[in-house]
Amino acid sequence: MERKAYTVKDHSRRNFLKQLAATSAISAATAMLPKVTFGGVEKFTGNDKLTWKKSPCRFCGVGCGLLIGLQNGKAVAVKGDPDSPVNKGLCCVKGYHSVMALYGKDRLRKPLVKRNGKWVEVTMTEALDLVANKMKETIDKHGKDAVAMYGSGQWTIPDGYVASKFMKGGIGTNNLEANARLCMASAVTGFMTSFGLDEPMGCYEDIDHADVFVLWGNNMAEMHPVLFSRLLDQRLKRKSIIIDLGTRTTRTSLAADKAILFQPQGDLALANAICYEIINNGWVNRSFIEKHCVFKKGKTNIGYGLEDNFQFTDEPGDISFNDFKNFLNDYAPAKASALCGVSVKDIKYLAQLYADPNKKVMSLWCMGPNQHTRGTWINNQIYNIHLLTGKISTPGNSPFSLTGQPSACGTVREVGTLTHLLPHGTVTNEKDRKLAAEIWKVPVEKIPAKPTFHTVEMFRALDRGEIKFMWIQVTNPMVSMPNLKRYRNGALKEDRFIVVSDVYPTPTTDVADVILPSAMWIEREGMFGNSERRTQHFEKMIEPQGECLSDTWQIIEVAKRMGYGNLFPWTKENHIEEIWKEYTRFHHGPEHAMASYQELKARPGIQWPYVNGKETKWRYHAKYDPAAKGDSFDFYGKPDGKAWIWARPFEPAPEVPDKEYPYWLCTGRVVEHWHTGSMTRRIPVLHQAVPHAYVELNVQDAANMNIRTGDKVKLVSRRGELVLPASVNERGQPPRGQVFVPFFDEGLLINELTIDAFCPISREPEYKKCAVKVMKA
Amino acid sequence: MTIKPKQHILIFYIVLLMASAIVVLNFSMLVEQEEAQVDEELFAYVEPLPFESGVFERAGFALSYQNMPDDENPQRSLDGYYKRRAFSGAPPIIPHVILNENTFGGKACLQCHQNGGYVEQFKAFAPVTPHPELINCRQCHVPVKSSSLFQATAFEGLKANQIHNSALEGSPPIIPHTLQMRENCLACHAGPAAPKAIRVTHPERVNCRSCHALKPLTPIEWTRPTNE
Repeated sequence: MERKAYTVKDHSRRNFLKQLAATSAISAATAMLPKVTFGGVEKFTGNDKLTWKKSPCRFCGVGCGLLIGLQNGKAVAVKGDPDSPVNKGLCCVKGYHSVMALYGKDRLRKPLVKRNGKWVEVTMTEALDLVANKMKETIDKHGKDAVAMYGSGQWTIPDGYVASKFMKGGIGTNNLEANARLCMASAVTGFMTSFGLDEPMGCYEDIDHADVFVLWGNNMAEMHPVLFSRLLDQRLKRKSIIIDLGTRTTRTSLAADKAILFQPQGDLALANAICYEIINNGWVNRSFIEKHCVFKKGKTNIGYGLEDNFQFTDEPGDISFNDFKNFLNDYAPAKASALCGVSVKDIKYLAQLYADPNKKVMSLWCMGPNQHTRGTWINNQIYNIHLLTGKISTPGNSPFSLTGQPSACGTVREVGTLTHLLPHGTVTNEKDRKLAAEIWKVPVEKIPAKPTFHTVEMFRALDRGEIKFMWIQVTNPMVSMPNLKRYRNGALKEDRFIVVSDVYPTPTTDVADVILPSAMWIEREGMFGNSERRTQHFEKMIEPQGECLSDTWQIIEVAKRMGYGNLFPWTKENHIEEIWKEYTRFHHGPEHAMASYQELKARPGIQWPYVNGKETKWRYHAKYDPAAKGDSFDFYGKPDGKAWIWARPFEPAPEVPDKEYPYWLCTGRVVEHWHTGSMTRRIPVLHQAVPHAYVELNVQDAANMNIRTGDKVKLVSRRGELVLPASVNERGQPPRGQVFVPFFDEGLLINELTIDAFCPISREPEYKKCAVKVMKA
Repeated sequence: MTIKPKQHILIFYIVLLMASAIVVLNFSMLVEQEEAQVDEELFAYVEPLPFESGVFERAGFALSYQNMPDDENPQRSLDGYYKRRAFSGAPPIIPHVILNENTFGGKACLQCHQNGGYVEQFKAFAPVTPHPELINCRQCHVPVKSSSLFQATAFEGLKANQIHNSALEGSPPIIPHTLQMRENCLACHAGPAAPKAIRVTHPERVNCRSCHALKPLTPIEWTRPTNE
């Protein structure tokens, strides 16, 4: 009893003492710091269950490292990963809000099958059975080249790898393409023709060394904002200069030190004029080109691919330096100026910047030069400038081709999910086929040696009826294909069967017969490869919604049902690791060696070639690249170790404005939306910032037609027409005679107007130039 | 004057002496310089620790903040502050009309948001950005041009941590958020645009983090091994 009382007493005494101490502490503190007010005694609760995990961003090819905040099994926040050498902690508005794209209320959660014109929910097993049966049936009836798969630069590396193995090693057809054909094909053929190997020699670190940045038709402030901020940061710290070359005034032009406008297609003449000035002023790096370059010419008047079954093969021919010099005489500044609309003074200024021996120059480009009917050429021409001046493959001297999708490089280009490619090399090369057959454990005869259809031709074949079955994954061609009406009508034809794997209803799922709901991004494990040869792993962080299944596993399940199970002997638990192990066997050796699965898991991305635990930041120079021989440059992609300087002329665009269709139409993107908008439009912040597409008009043109911002404007091309609101003197401003429309809006499909002409070498379509009529609606 | 042979020898010795002196001096100078040579790598520009980079950025304004009269009608509330963010830590949206789309960074947003101040047009004090060095503002901050949605969302963002979180009665509260992009405390916690609930009462004590601790990002679980 006593004891108990004592205890109680003790307690109250203790409490009293505690309170006294606290009060006196506060009063003492208050006396010392009279203005400070102290909060109540509330325990720090915080978000204790919050954990952060690393992943590359779901959106563009920059490949920012994100930290994803996870709480109660859901992604709830994003911040930039300070440890990522790509973005060093900074993101863009899409990246910060990226996880919100997982939680749109209309997320596809159950497989859907179209029966008598109505969508019916089925189980995943039923849906996969149906896909496999239909595929088998089509092959039996029409042959293996009647089935096709159309994937994406948003495919993870394992997705692309199993797709390639399934189509080329299993079924035995080269009917495998990906949407990167629409954005990166010209960059690939540019690299292949100039250097013999794909992907940049430099990396993002070049930004920290370069004195001059020349942006070729690339609105980096909106499309690659995180890298652009790195440019701006370097300008602040080191006084670098940013030059914007473009066909319209954009946010990038406003931020640049100098913005130079050129006429659409004029880049071909401008690049040659810069070379002319460099050569005729004696600014050529003679010893470099003598030791490390050869000169080539190719075919001219190469066409535009507008007709079905268009065929073209370039024939490289040797020329001398003097031949090249003479070829450039047609591009003396005064002559080139007439073709490209850039003043002679500006041409000379650019040449002088590129040639200045005390300046390191980085050229950056993306869709301007790539979505171009002479895309391969303009890529070659930019390399020409860097090769003539020897400004390449060293820190800060870097022609750098940017990409638009998170794994256009990692999956489409490195795994090779295009009709002519294998995970290593091409289908036309017997050695490459043998290597693939050996690793895949299939007879080499199984892999056909002849490429079939590139993307545009694949959709034409679907329209013509040569392809009866198409499986589309992670992409939205019914918004993104040029001359869209033809390809939509083709997909809707009577005996065509379309399977679409996606995460939301889109205009592409609208034409589908079966919709498979996919597990998205961090709902499964995978890897992406970004523009600077960096492979980044992300783990499964949250459970997929409903019956959603990863694209990798969807393909494996269908393959198993078709009797190719032996090609995919992995479990759901270990398949990503096993796929990585098998895939990297294709890329052994110092030219393309890749990091191990364990290393990728541990680090925020690793650049290949990854040799002896070291990333290769600059290729083709012995100082930085273990694959390069000698003591300086070695362009080992070509058999003679030399880079090719190409004589590429100016040729006009396929459709030039005329009396009837007097305006140029250019299409593109905005910072808030990503490609066809199926994800970003479901993020309230982004949708509300740019709720619909619009047409940008020149102020003077708009005044002449009495059009103001918000007024309805009708655009008519030879292929279609569209009414959309005007934007005058807002974000971007085209020069007179040009209009610009972003393509993200599935409600305002600008691609019904664009032309399905393509670069005959890369087969990448032209989205930046066609002719339209413009009128007030 | 003719030179005698002896003088020849003398001149020869003098010249030799001078030459050797030059050689010796040169050599010793080179050796010295070698040691004095600066290792460029060592003195190359080093980024400050990210957490520390902007801490004192606005310290120069501290006295003005201290002398600022307490306004009766604070314009921004903490709720309003939170509502502009999709989740705690997300970049806030731009809640006002953008006056001119055709400008960039220093010529646009930063005119008001670098140092703040009263903006007659919006009848409000402009909030100050904690990272004025990043001038592509609209890379992360976007306006609101529509109130409707394309499709409804089920996203539930991270909620902000509690702000009254002192461990003891009267001890200085812990910093409830991460510092990335917000290293510069006074930008948001002082001045007329700061929401009153998070406005610091003592802006003149600029070394905020000498009293306010940061909650570690990922607490490391560690216990001292016992003898048992």
